[in-house]
Amino acid sequence: MAVSVETQAPAVSSASAAGAVAAAPVAGAQTGSEPAAAERAKRPQKRRGWTGYLPFLPFLAVVIGYELLPLAQLVGNAFIGKESEAFGLENFIKVFTTPLYQQSIVNSLWISVVSALVGIVVAFLAARFAYESSPRVRNAFTLVLNMMSNFSGVPLAFAFMILMGNSGVLTLLGQQWGIPFLADFDLYTGEGLLVLYIYFQIPLATLLLLPAFSGIKKEWREAATILKATTFDYWFKIVIPNLMPSILGTLSVLFSNALAAYATAYAVVMNNYALLPLQITSKFKGDVQIDNATGGALAVVLILLMVACTLINNYFTKRASKGREIV
Amino acid sequence: MSAKTKAAAPGQKTPLAAKIFLALVALYLLIPFATTLIYSLFIEWTDVLPSGFTLRNYAELFGNMTFWASIGRTLVLCLVSVVITIALLLLAMYVVVAVNRRLGRFMQFVCMIPYALQGVILSIGIISLYTGTGTVLSNRMMMLFGAYTILVLPYIYQGIRNALNAIDAQMLIQAAEMLGCGRFRAYVQVVLPNILSGILVSSLLAESIVFGDFVLANNIAGTNYQNIQVFLQANMARSSGLSSAIVVVIFLVVGAVTAAVLKLQQSSARKA
Repeated sequence: MAVSVETQAPAVSSASAAGAVAAAPVAGAQTGSEPAAAERAKRPQKRRGWTGYLPFLPFLAVVIGYELLPLAQLVGNAFIGKESEAFGLENFIKVFTTPLYQQSIVNSLWISVVSALVGIVVAFLAARFAYESSPRVRNAFTLVLNMMSNFSGVPLAFAFMILMGNSGVLTLLGQQWGIPFLADFDLYTGEGLLVLYIYFQIPLATLLLLPAFSGIKKEWREAATILKATTFDYWFKIVIPNLMPSILGTLSVLFSNALAAYATAYAVVMNNYALLPLQITSKFKGDVQIDNATGGALAVVLILLMVACTLINNYFTKRASKGREIV
Repeated sequence: MSAKTKAAAPGQKTPLAAKIFLALVALYLLIPFATTLIYSLFIEWTDVLPSGFTLRNYAELFGNMTFWASIGRTLVLCLVSVVITIALLLLAMYVVVAVNRRLGRFMQFVCMIPYALQGVILSIGIISLYTGTGTVLSNRMMMLFGAYTILVLPYIYQGIRNALNAIDAQMLIQAAEMLGCGRFRAYVQVVLPNILSGILVSSLLAESIVFGDFVLANNIAGTNYQNIQVFLQANMARSSGLSSAIVVVIFLVVGAVTAAVLKLQQSSARKA
């Protein structure tokens, strides 16, 4: 949970989120106040009965009305067959046998995996170099990361259209100078979307990985050198294994970030590309007829993927914070 | 030995390789926005260099009433939904802190769900539940405010919870109770003033999230209640000059909020 603070929009606080602030939710929160809680439990509950719970009700009402019930509605839609109107897996069978939906799932997974992997490699190098830099350079770089992590969605899509669209600045330059990669680049395809996704993964990934590097002690380098470890050994047998929980946690955040991204893709290709979020939305809001059943089943597929990411991330966040305590 | 070590000590020089790599990444990240900014300031850009400096795009944008209307709507959405969320969470947190701690687990779980689900699922869930019910709940504005309230829940919850933990709210309330003060009064008069600055940072963060939202606004309200992002999307195909000016304005606003958040975080880190 800790790292996923910033999944969608601004990653302002992610530097702190991955580290101190949000690392606590599961482990740290309860421990401190355990004695007080025990003491309270012993005391007879004489003062207020149910009136003490009244302030909780508005929150409960809104959460039920706008979070839990809508979710239940989607899941319910998914299991009521479109044709048979009976409870069952009909919609899911349809989703997994229709080429368009199969393609959407495959494309979504593919674009998320590749953009997350490229993002993490660039972020690892950037975080490493930023960590080795003087505080002045590091702060300047972090500022750029924070600012540009907000540059996503529709504005980002528009900027890339100006840059690499059909009559984009780089496209025209590519034609003039005879650079085929730029001249023939097509933004309005899967590859084009991939370039955009990689762009918004990099600042987020770097902001999430940076704090992890502070757990690498400089003594390790000295110890490794004394023990005749090569630079390769030092990085691949000491640093990377040590950072693995943070790397995998960040990777799962990036993956789910790309999986659920909607605005960027919609602004570039509208609904004309087989991508899970685009297909889901077009079933509920659309030019075509509204299809709650198929949309619900697609939504459940996306929900399951996202929940899996969150669980993976939670697992690694716990591992990461545990590891740090030992050191 | 220590001169050779890699960790950055204050005053240490940055290795050349690091400088080059970081500069390249920063350049890569800045190019799309820089291009948009230049594009918005010139009449045409078909050669290596743009030609014909102009502020025409901005003049047109600032003279456009639809633009101001969409800015106004966006600000209303930002302020109202964030204020609602803060109020709901502060009330609910009183129960967790002063009445029954066990509700904290439930609250944490519920507040973290929006992280995992994000905008697409949230928006279509709300549409499919309420559209066509013919009640006040099927009003697009109601749906939109509800959706934003849930969207910013994780961020504000995290901020309030961290602030409450930092001051040990339970102890403060117990102390106030011993001095003869009611629990709720203690919460309002002792605890709340102490966590205000903590809430401020997370609310600003939430504001910038609502400001930058396209998914919920487009899916739930669409053209009925255009926010700034939907306005941009609607203009993209029509006029690229105007759109580039909108992008610059959005970026500057969100950038200013981000800068404020960073500033506040730094000053609170220094205090701690």
